[in-house]
Amino acid sequence: MTYFMVVAKRLAGLISSFRLQSFFLFLLTLMMAIEEKGAVLYIVAGLIFIVKVYLIPMFLRHVAKRIKTNENLGLFINPQLSLFAALGLTYLSYLFTFKVFPLADKVQSASFALSLCVTLVGLFIMIFRMKALTQIIGLMVMENGLFLSAAAVSRGMPFLVEIAIFLDVLVSVIILGVFVYRINALFTHIDVSKLKHLKG
Amino acid sequence: MLGIVVVTLSLALLSLYVRSAKVLGIANACGYIVVFALALLLAATGGRYRVPDFFYADGLSVFFVFTVALVSLVTAFYSSGYIRHAVEEGSISAGKAALYYVLFNLFCCAMFLTVMVKNLGLMWVAIEMTTLVSAFLVGFYNTKQAIEAAWKYVIICSVGIILALFGIIIFYSTVANHAGLKNLDWPDIVDVAKTLNPNVVRIAFLFILVGFGTKAGIAPMHTWLPDAHSQAVSPISALLSGVLLKTSLYAILRFSIITNMCVGERFTSHLFILFGLISLVVSAGFILVQKNLKRLLAYSSIEHIGIIVFGLGIAGPWALYGAFLHILGHAAIKPVMFFGAASVLKKYKTENMHIIRGIVTSLPFTGIVLTLGVFALGGMPPFSLFMSEIYIVVAGFMSGSYVATAVYVACIVAAFCSLTYHFGKILFGKKPVSMEAESESFLAKAAFIMLLTFAFVIGIAAPGACRDLILKAIQVVAG
Repeated sequence: MTYFMVVAKRLAGLISSFRLQSFFLFLLTLMMAIEEKGAVLYIVAGLIFIVKVYLIPMFLRHVAKRIKTNENLGLFINPQLSLFAALGLTYLSYLFTFKVFPLADKVQSASFALSLCVTLVGLFIMIFRMKALTQIIGLMVMENGLFLSAAAVSRGMPFLVEIAIFLDVLVSVIILGVFVYRINALFTHIDVSKLKHLKG
Repeated sequence: MLGIVVVTLSLALLSLYVRSAKVLGIANACGYIVVFALALLLAATGGRYRVPDFFYADGLSVFFVFTVALVSLVTAFYSSGYIRHAVEEGSISAGKAALYYVLFNLFCCAMFLTVMVKNLGLMWVAIEMTTLVSAFLVGFYNTKQAIEAAWKYVIICSVGIILALFGIIIFYSTVANHAGLKNLDWPDIVDVAKTLNPNVVRIAFLFILVGFGTKAGIAPMHTWLPDAHSQAVSPISALLSGVLLKTSLYAILRFSIITNMCVGERFTSHLFILFGLISLVVSAGFILVQKNLKRLLAYSSIEHIGIIVFGLGIAGPWALYGAFLHILGHAAIKPVMFFGAASVLKKYKTENMHIIRGIVTSLPFTGIVLTLGVFALGGMPPFSLFMSEIYIVVAGFMSGSYVATAVYVACIVAAFCSLTYHFGKILFGKKPVSMEAESESFLAKAAFIMLLTFAFVIGIAAPGACRDLILKAIQVVAG
């Protein structure tokens, strides 16, 4: 799924793939909840569904429509090369997991490597795409990766922390969205590669 | 501790309803007097802090609560005059002034929470809240530069803090798997620190250092800092530089204590020394070539963070005492400089140091304060920054890291020379002909004098209560 994002050229495509990724995260958490029969995990899964699958993509779409941004993402690196880079990042995260990070369980380490890879690709999207909105999505992808890794290595964070992080994610997306509005209003574009006033 | 949170939040609520900037300013100043008194009370209760379960107080957190309370108090003082003036001048509307106070209080509340919560995960959340709230204060004027700075600030710090969260997750994995603990409460983790997996803790600490280090303004992750500091509303620059950076440092410290217990002190101390020196070298260079007054002060913040981190890296009682004294001293002096710079900016309408001349004649009070302030900031006796820098130098040479300490001294000297050079030019010389002399508002004067006296007093003597505060914090850090 993550690979789709790397090749995605259009904003709408990117948002939908983010939604799908979050949906998988939701499924995973739900599976864990069923397995462990913990009420806490059910709540977390529900929150993932509401916040990440529903609210955030909707909000992003709303912002994208309001500012009528040009659909094209503005790539620093073309899709093919990006895909290779993503493959490289995946390899690196597997290497890191198996060489450096000792985990007993085979499945656990595989999912940890996967989550690390998702996080790295999120970072990649943030760096190599020019639009402010894509940076938000990159950030959210990183966050998804983190949730996956938390689920992989320790069956999720403590409940209170998890809830607080959720609220935080929601607030940060909204605030970032507000800033995208402002950037758009002031600069009449949201191309962050052209924000170059401040130097030295 | 609950009291502090309640006061700041109720002030934020108050600001939602009251529309007069004057009333709000005064209410705010009074509120922060109460907060400061509460912080003093907390510090005075000695070793036995009785707090609600959600919070946690030991020497370290009390020290930081005191620092945050001090800086937010003087900032509240200065804000009242600054914002009222801005409203009268018409540069911001009354509604926006109220918004300023709402954000100001939320910002302070988030900082207090950061240093008071018991749960390390919630500490992360509180730090992220400080970023989100203060982003609006950085972009407050809604100019192109301000919005760009705010965007850069919020994006870079969010990525940094996500890396920190990754570190915390890895950290929690060893806490859960090897120690069988199902929460992230600080006292519980300290109890099981020895049973954690050393390799995992090392990796986690690297992520946490880089992540929170971004927020703390440690070079090379500092790139957001000069922009945010120079574009924020001036009183907020003082808060950002005076305490926000240090609350992240607090987070790093918390994790470094556990890491030290688990893998020994060499690991963190080498990292601290390395990052401290990078910060010092980078900032000394940028201070030398800087043209913009507020950016100059921002780079000087990076320099001082570098000094503090270096001191923490040298470790040992002398260096730690120096580092903590430095935190306190820098927190006292930086607001003076930013407030002074704000008055200069208002008068001269430019931040370019090639144009500003003769502050001492055009703004006599501010000029004198800035002259004293720049010597204090550069580390001249009798101010406290001199003492703390000397402590760290002595500790550095005693611990045998000669090369590192030599680089450290060279950077401090370079920074001092360039600071005095820049400020010498803008403070003295001929003022523009058309300009008339002007003075500060009463509350602002009070803030200036309070801070300078404080820096002076802890510099020459470090009175008993203050020394106690620092020593208790060191006890926690030394384990």
